[in-house]
Parts: sequence; structure tokens; C-alpha cells
Amino acid sequence: MRRFEYHEPTSLKEASQLLTSLGEGAYFLAGGTDLFVEIRERLRQVRHLVNIKRVPGLDQIEWSDQTGLRFGAQVTAGQLEASGYLNGRYPNLRAALKALASIQVRNRATVVGNVCRASPSADTIPPLIADGAVIETYRPGGGRHIPLAEFFAGPGRTVLEPGEIVIAVTVPPPAQGSHRAYLKHGRRKAMELATVGVAVSLEVEDGLCTGARVALGAVGPVVLRAPQTEAILVGSRLDAAVLNAAAEQAMQECTPISNVRASAEYRREMVGVLTRRAVMLALEEAA
Amino acid sequence: MNKIHLEITVNGEARSMMVEGHRSLLDALREEAGLTGTKKGCDVGDCGACTVIVDGRPVNACLMLAVEAQGAEILTIEGLQPDPDTLHPLQEAFMEHGASQCGFCSPGILIMAKCLLDRNPLPSDEEIRFGLSGNICRCTGYTKIFDAIRTAGRRMAAARAQSVEA
Amino acid sequence: MTKHEFRIVGKSVKRQDVIEKITGEGRYTGDYHLPGLLSGKIKRAEIAHARIRRIDVSRALAYPGVKAVLTHHDVPRVLHYGSPHPRSASCTMDQYILDDRVRFWGEGIAAVAAVSEEIADEALDLIEVEYEPLPAVLDIDAAQAPDAPLIHDVGPGGNLVIPPVHIERGDVEKGFAEADLILEGEFSGGRPVPTYMEPNVCIADWDGSNKLTFWTSTQTSFMVRGALAEVLGLPLNKVRVLVDHMGGGFGAKQDLFQHEFLCALLAKKCRRPVKMEFTRRETFLAGRSRHPFRLWLRQGFRKDGTLTAREMKIVYESGAYGSHSPGVTNVGTASATSLYRCENVRLDGRAVYTNTPIAGAYRGYGVVQTYFAIDIQMDEAAEKLGIDPAGIRLRNAVREGDIAPSGHPVVGYGLEACIRHGIRAFDWAGKRAADRHDPANPAIRKGWGIGCEMHGSSAYPGIKEQGNAIVRMNEDGSVTLLTGAAGLGTGAHTALAQIVAEELGVPFETVSVVHGDTDVVPWDIGAFASHTTYLVGSAAKMAAAELRQRVLARAAEKLQEKPGHLEMVEGVILVQGQPDRSITVAEAMGPSRGIPAEHLVASGSYMPTKSYSFAAHFVEVAVDTETGIIECRKVMPVHDVGRVIHPVAAQGQIEGGIQQGIGHTLTEDYVIDRTTGRSLNAGLVDYKMPLSMDMPDIETVILEAAPDPGGPWGAKGVGEDPIIAIGPAIANAVYDAIGVRFHHYPITPEDVLNGLRRKAAESSARD
Ligand code: FES
Ligand code: FES
Repeated sequence: MRRFEYHEPTSLKEASQLLTSLGEGAYFLAGGTDLFVEIRERLRQVRHLVNIKRVPGLDQIEWSDQTGLRFGAQVTAGQLEASGYLNGRYPNLRAALKALASIQVRNRATVVGNVCRASPSADTIPPLIADGAVIETYRPGGGRHIPLAEFFAGPGRTVLEPGEIVIAVTVPPPAQGSHRAYLKHGRRKAMELATVGVAVSLEVEDGLCTGARVALGAVGPVVLRAPQTEAILVGSRLDAAVLNAAAEQAMQECTPISNVRASAEYRREMVGVLTRRAVMLALEEAA
Repeated sequence: MNKIHLEITVNGEARSMMVEGHRSLLDALREEAGLTGTKKGCDVGDCGACTVIVDGRPVNACLMLAVEAQGAEILTIEGLQPDPDTLHPLQEAFMEHGASQCGFCSPGILIMAKCLLDRNPLPSDEEIRFGLSGNICRCTGYTKIFDAIRTAGRRMAAARAQSVEA
Repeated sequence: MTKHEFRIVGKSVKRQDVIEKITGEGRYTGDYHLPGLLSGKIKRAEIAHARIRRIDVSRALAYPGVKAVLTHHDVPRVLHYGSPHPRSASCTMDQYILDDRVRFWGEGIAAVAAVSEEIADEALDLIEVEYEPLPAVLDIDAAQAPDAPLIHDVGPGGNLVIPPVHIERGDVEKGFAEADLILEGEFSGGRPVPTYMEPNVCIADWDGSNKLTFWTSTQTSFMVRGALAEVLGLPLNKVRVLVDHMGGGFGAKQDLFQHEFLCALLAKKCRRPVKMEFTRRETFLAGRSRHPFRLWLRQGFRKDGTLTAREMKIVYESGAYGSHSPGVTNVGTASATSLYRCENVRLDGRAVYTNTPIAGAYRGYGVVQTYFAIDIQMDEAAEKLGIDPAGIRLRNAVREGDIAPSGHPVVGYGLEACIRHGIRAFDWAGKRAADRHDPANPAIRKGWGIGCEMHGSSAYPGIKEQGNAIVRMNEDGSVTLLTGAAGLGTGAHTALAQIVAEELGVPFETVSVVHGDTDVVPWDIGAFASHTTYLVGSAAKMAAAELRQRVLARAAEKLQEKPGHLEMVEGVILVQGQPDRSITVAEAMGPSRGIPAEHLVASGSYMPTKSYSFAAHFVEVAVDTETGIIECRKVMPVHDVGRVIHPVAAQGQIEGGIQQGIGHTLTEDYVIDRTTGRSLNAGLVDYKMPLSMDMPDIETVILEAAPDPGGPWGAKGVGEDPIIAIGPAIANAVYDAIGVRFHHYPITPEDVLNGLRRKAAESSARD
């Protein structure tokens, strides 16, 4: 580990000011599960860590029929997974949480931290994008609500301004006839970074698909929506021919790269397989 | 680097120490508290050798700053035995089944297995495998570890049933 | 063998060392702390091949908390070997403690000692290095190219590590002329690494008499002592190497890893103890791997499957230094003389330097590669000839009296028994006749395969090994065994204690084991090559037998009996035929009128013959034809180990070997960038070992089919074997599932999909 100074502000205002005044090399600490790795592997030069755990009000998980699920910046993946709010409503997010690293890591990693790291392979992002999640922030001049699909500026980069803090994520309640799934591709069954992750969120009425959102992870600089794939699904009866066409289209819509985990070609092929399988799994999952 | 006064309870014993802000809980336990039973296999959250229980939840001690444990109750492998002359049923079963070879993974796996059995005394094979998915063992192929956890779970459940009857 | 009723051998007694491990009290090297301890860190090169033009440590030295910095300017320039087998003719002298030349990405170029690990680590960034880049040789082909840049000026020429190994027996041309079928193929394999859970670590401390005390995690403490003494210019009795518990080694922790010397020199310079602990990343960068390889194999078969000739050429990639390449090349090349009997063989084995991380010793030493190829081609022959794959192996399996790879006749042949047992227990015929489809998932195809192996216990005759043991009977009747063999986690110390207790006739619990201190215990070459139980076990048995005679002689005096009339059972000495006359061992050893208490010592030294263990592995795989992912679902390893001393420990060894073997075959590969030599996956997430969710059901079978007269009660080694047969068994099962042959490992999902496409294209071209 490299040395750094540690700070524990007790309000959002103080946290925001600290980060701005400490300048370069100052970072927010949420769960730390990624940040500490980056410090130890010298991927990030950190001089100051600003831990927001003493800031009150960020540890809530709430549910309302009108506004859906809302969880604060301190909520860990493990807490959200165990909260019971996901059952039957967000099976895709639940699957993503279950596939995130290990139980031990999930007890420390926050969902907001996983999102803010803006990794294209982060497990929680595809389902949250597919479900239309919105980011809530604090800024000295007034907070913002940012749709998650517009939150990322590139790998590791978000649209957050200096000193702006994510305080919560809201996920709208599932509509009638909602079907959702998340599938992750890795060589092992656990402790994997996704080679490809596909989340789908569908609305189906009387066998007819009335809404579809498809989010593709680890196959672009950021997690991608696949609008043309969605267009193929919407209005269809989701039969085998449609699924194959959607899979083909998703393969066109992604922009993967090659690295030690897989080649671009293989990733593209898996986007097709996983998109088809995710739709099938979503239809099986009880909404 | 300024030091921070840390008060924690480890294995039932109150401890206070001065730690630097960047110190991991793992290093603080091993070096400051002298509890070297918890191992460092990677220092980046990938192996589970450093698993300890903090306020009832298993975590990687290498992925947590010591200062973040302020006021916490911590259980390490050194606190698993109910008393110095008695082994925990998991430890007994690990001996019998040969679930520990080089033993470097064992403290983390025992702690993880304790969490699993405390919540679910009779886990299915799938649940055991899932419960250990963050703990690497390179010696045993896991088979003996699974056997040991099943055996310990059965015994613990039986003992609990008996004490309820009594 | 006379029939013998065992009291302790063959029972899964409680392992003495395990209690410490499961309570957290067992001390590993990294758990030790000394007053004034400094932390050492190594600066590692970020270039594959270069000359160091300038290295400036002034800023690092000035950094607060830094106590010393070493570069190649500050250390003795002594050429030494990385794999210190002093009794082996074939070790390569090609390393310096620090050199002005970098030969692989990750090689140590400087070392820092500081008051904390953090400060030492930060100081590394302040060391400035200027390189003159040299063209890098990054694979076997590049190393063998006629105009290849040379990595060393020592060696037999080109980038060869040693002169080629050539073995020829019988008449190969005649053999091929007699063949009805000739198969030829090329094979290759990646770079699996052992990934023991305890990263390399050592502590060095000098005392006022210039004696070095050195704690380390090694399988070969006496060799570490030898190398440290030689390179630092000390007599052997001025180096004391201590090894307590160690967190795995799997063969690789036989080498010295550069940090041992640096740690000792830093400690000397600072006059304070220094600890050096690898990060997990460093265990990849500076650790050891199995040798990547290229292999060409040609074999002739008669219609009935009988082998008539075999020709093989193999090239092992040694990486930047020789390490174990001499041994690996010799053992691996020789292994191809056997397993399946063949009178006519011509074999050529080489090892080449490249600018990549060092390949060293790793469980399955040189043989994993050759038997992978041989066992896959055996399957191909079976298919072409319309013979069952298990049947063709039975026809060719090595037999008693055949010449083994070591050049000795094989004593006992367990291979046939292993295959026959597996055929029945695995329901081989039934499974192979079953449907390959999985009703639960239309994308899945199932398949079943077999692989076989044989492996020697002990490294004899390549290395002139010797097993030593000292057994002491204390005056209270308790027993102390002193052994130089390291406890690498395999339970070997327990097996040794069992052997002593059995032979002496005392309760197992009264025997304790002292190990891991080169100043105290008898010399041992090291815990490797499946040697401990076999070789040290035999020595311990000899020592115990002698001690038993002396205890009985003493008891005879006390009982006024002839020693020949006495026997010792569970710590009680009985007069034969007179059940009422007995004394305990403690009474025999203690004082009585006219006979003072005594403390008896006996020692045993054992020179081995050569023994081989055998195994056949039967596996079931499921291949997802859409994702290409191969899942190994079931494994039945059937092993002949001669005599099993501790069944649970033996099973554990086998199951752990299978875990590693599955990894090597399907997911594990330490990848070096082909253009820069940089490592691409030096961590536990991207280096993919099978974990709890990935492991198949394993149903281990241990046979005592072919006891070896050289081992204690017939016992042979078991540590190396399980990793060898599993690879070809999986590759053969994959073929059975999807009809695509793979000649390399790891077999990745992409390979599977590409293979299926190729197959589809071929069959549509045929239509
Ligand atoms: S040391 Fe903490 S997970 Fe490996
Ligand atoms: S027993 Fe060695 S890693 Fe598990």
C-alpha cells in the first residue's frame, strides 16, 4: 500500500469542500474494494481519501410503489442483495449483484461505487441502465438527477463535476408484465470480471413485447444501450426468429476490443448468444 | 502521516492502538495486534485468505482500512475456538477430513464456513460452493473442504437440536 | 511381501501439523517479526531485454526512512545457478544476483530496505534507470531462428540451455515399416504457474559472528543454504536456514528467486534484520512456471493397436534463465520411452532461452507436456483403428520388467490395474454408448475421455538422492524424529511419523517431528519429486528398526530375557508367550537399580532404487457449443501408489492435483505479450484457477496394485501424478463430445468455437 491521508467529513458540504480544496490526488472513498486495489497496483496516485461513511442519510434502502427503489451511496452490494426489495422486481440487478466478485467483497463494495468507477465491465451497470435508473447528486450549487444512460463519459470517466457527490440511485418500479434478466459471461463461475454482460428489461402483454431495453457490458468504452436491437424486440411476439434477429443486431451494435480476456470477435459473438439467452431467461423469470 | 486512535474489539477482547490512515485492517491485525493467523495471499481482495468477520459480516481484511473498523467487533481465526481446549466443530471436521493441506487458505475458509453454517446449518452442495467462491484453495481441490463443512454442519445442527430438547 | 497387520500405516491419523494451521497458531515465514525489522522491496525491470546504461539511486537513498539501496554495482558478481541441485551435473550457471543486463520483464534490477514496506515501495519509484534496449526473443520459434539474438554467452550455443538430449532404442525405421497406421502431429502448451497461496517471503538476520540466520518458504532448505553460502562466500555452518510452515510450493519453491541474496545483503549492509515479501503480482512476474513447449510426435501402430515405433521432438521454453530446464528436458524426453511400451523410439529434447519469465520445477516435471501429446495421439489411433480408447491403452500399457524412463526395469505395473478398475467403476462402456445430448440444454454436448500416466518417485538417477532420518527415544519413552524434508503441506511429516510409530511399535501420538532447521536436522535434498514418503520414509523406517533393536536390548537387560523373545506393541514390551511379563517403553528407558536412564539415537540413510506410480483418469465433460465453454463435470482418478500410508492425505494430494490439471487444460495460462514481453495477467482474477464453483465431482480410487520393494512397505510417491493424466483425459473427452481434436492447452472457448466452425466447413465441403 502507498501512504495517504485519511479524512472523515460529517456532511455532504464538508465532503465536497474537502475534495475540492485538497485538489489533485484526492478521492472519495465509498466501499474501497476497487480503489485500494488501484492504489496497491499503482494505477492511481492517491494522496487523500475522503470517506463519506459518516455523512448521515446515505445508508437507506427504500421502496415505494410510485417511485420505485432508491438506495443511498453507502449501501453495499450485499445489503441491497439481501434487502428483499429486488425479489420479483429486479431479478436482473439481483443476478448482477450475485455475480459481483465474492460475498466478502460484496459486504464492502457499494453499488454506487461500482457504478461511479465507470468500468464498462461493471456488473451492476447493465441492469440499472436497462431498468432506467437515475443518479442523484449533491453539488454546492444544487444537486442533479442524471439518467444513468447519460452518466458515463468514457472508461473510468463520468459526467460528475469536481466536488459533486453521488448520493443515491433511483430505479423506477417495474411496469406491468415486466420481464428482466442479466447474464454474465466469464471463464469461471465466480470471481470473474465480465467478458460480456447483457441485461434485458422487457414488457410483455398477451405475448406481445410492448417495451424493451437492452444494455451491453464490456463491449464498448462504456456500457451501451442497444436501441436497434430493442426496436426489433418491441412489437414482436419474441419468437425464435425475432430472437435470432435481435441477437444479430446486438452483435452489430457493440464495439468490443481484444484483450487478454477475450478477442473482439469472440466478445461480439457472445453478445449475440447472451442477448438471445437473456431474453429467453427473462421470459422464464416470473415478473 | 498522522496516526489515528483506533478502538476495536477483537475476539471478545477490547484493543486500542494507533494506526496510520492508510493501514489496512489486515496489516493492523497482523502487525499491530500480533494476530498473524489471518493470512495475506494477495492483498487485493482476490483470494479470501484474509477473511475476518466484522460486525457479523465476512469481509476481506485487506480491502478495509483499519480506521474504518473504528468501534467494530471483529472475529478472526484466533477467536474461533469456544475455549482454548476445545476446537470448533469446523476445526474438528477439517482435521478429520484432511481439509487443510498447506493450511494457508484455512483461516479464511474456516471463518467463511462459520458464517455460512451460522446462517444455514445444513447447506446444500451448491450453497457450500457458492459460499466459498471468494476463497482460493490451491492444494485440496476443495472436495475435502466441502466434506468437512457438511460434517460440521450436521454435528452443529444435531447439537443444537439436543440442547433445544434438553 | 510378508503379510503384515498394520496398526498405524494405512490409517488416516490426525495430522499433527494441521491443528496449528486450523487454529491460526501455525507460523509461516511471513508471520515472524524481529526487533528492528526492515522491509525490503525489489525494483523490477519494465523491459524484456536490455542493457542498463545508467541506474541512479540517489533520490531513493535520500528518501526519509530508506536505509539502503543495492544495484549491480553494489553486489558480488558471482555466477550461480537458480536451481541449486548441487549433486546434479546438469544445473546451469547463468545467473547473477544483479546484472547490468535485463533478460525478462520483471527481473530485479535493484533493491531497497526501509523502515516500512510503504516507504520501501515508494522509494522504488525514485530509482532512475536508463536502458539500452536489445532485441527481445519472445517465443520458441524466435529463439531457434538462425540469426536469433543471444540471451546468454554461456551454454552450448545458440539459445540452447543444454546440449540436446537424444535417446534412441531399437530400430525406428523398421518399426515404422511394420506399422499399419502412422500418425503424426504437432502439440503445444501454455504457461501454467503453480500459484501457491503463500507468496514468496524471507527474513535475513546476521549475528555478531557473521552468521546468517535465514527464514524462508522453501522446499529445499539445504539447497538454499548451499547457494547462499556459495554466493556470499560463507562456510555452510555460517548459514542457518529455517523453514516453519509453508503455504504450498508444488515444485516451484525449489529455486532461489533472487530476493534471497538481496535480502541477506541488505540485512548485512543495514546491520538489521530485513524481511522481503513478494506481492501476489511478483509471484507471477518473478515466480516460476511450467515450461511452455512445442512437440512433434510420430507413431506407428499395427491393426490391433500395438505400437511399433515412436519418434518425438520436443522443445521446452526455459525463459530467461536455465533453472530446472536441464532436469525437465532430461526427465520429459526420457518419459516418452515409456507409459505405452514401444521397442523402437527416437527422441530429441531441447530447452531454449527466451526473454520471458523463468520456467522452473512444477509438479509433473517435464512429463505433463509429453504425455499430453502421447495420450491424445493414442486416442486418435484408437479411433482410426476402430478400437476402444481404453482397450488400446490396455494393449500397450507398460508392463513389469519393461525398461522405465530411468533406464531401470519397471518393478510392478499398476497401470493395467488402474485402467481395468476405472473401466468398471466409471462404467466406461455404458457412458461412451450414451447420448451426447443434454436434455436440459440443447447447446450442450457431453463426452467421456481417458488419460494415463506414470511418474517416478524421487529424482534418482538424474540426481543422486539420499534420504536421511534421525530417530531419538527419549528417556520417558517419547520419540523424536528429525527430518530435513520440508512440510510443504502434503502431510508428509505425518506419514513419516506414522512410519516410525509403526516400525518401532509405539503409539502414533508419542512420535513428534522436528524439521526445518538446517543446523539441527539431517541433510535432505528437498521435498520434491514425490520423494519424501518414499525416500525419507525408508530412511526413517531403517532408523526406527535400529532403534527398536536397541530399545529391546535394553528392555531385555531389565527383564532378564533374550532380546529375541521380546516384542514391542503400542509402547509396551512383551515377552513372547508370557502375557503377564511386560514393561512399558517408558519403564524400559527410565532408570532402575544399576541401569541409569538412557536416551537412544539411531539414524538411517537410504539410497533409492527407482519406483514408478501409475494412474488412469476418467472424465466427463460438457461443452457448450454456443459459448465454447468446457465444463469438467466428473473425474474418477484411479491411482496405484503401492502402499497408502495416510489415505485421506493421499486423496487430498490427488484431488488438488486434479484441480490444477483442470486449470492448466482449460483456463490457466500466464500470458506474455508477444511484442513487448510484458505480462498481461499477473493476478488472481485474470489468471484463472478453478475455484469452488468450478470443481467437478471427484471420486478418487487408490489402489495398492504394485508395491515397490524400495519404499516403506511398498509405498510410492503420489504428489506429481494427478496433474499429468487429467489433461489428455479432458482433451479426449472434448473430442468425444464435439468431434474436434485439440493438440494444445489451455483449450479456450474461442478455440472450441473456431474448431466447431472448421469442422462444419469441412463437413459441408465434403457434402
Ligand atoms: S489477502 Fe485479502 S483477499 Fe487475498
Ligand atoms: S490448503 Fe493450501 S491453499 Fe488450501
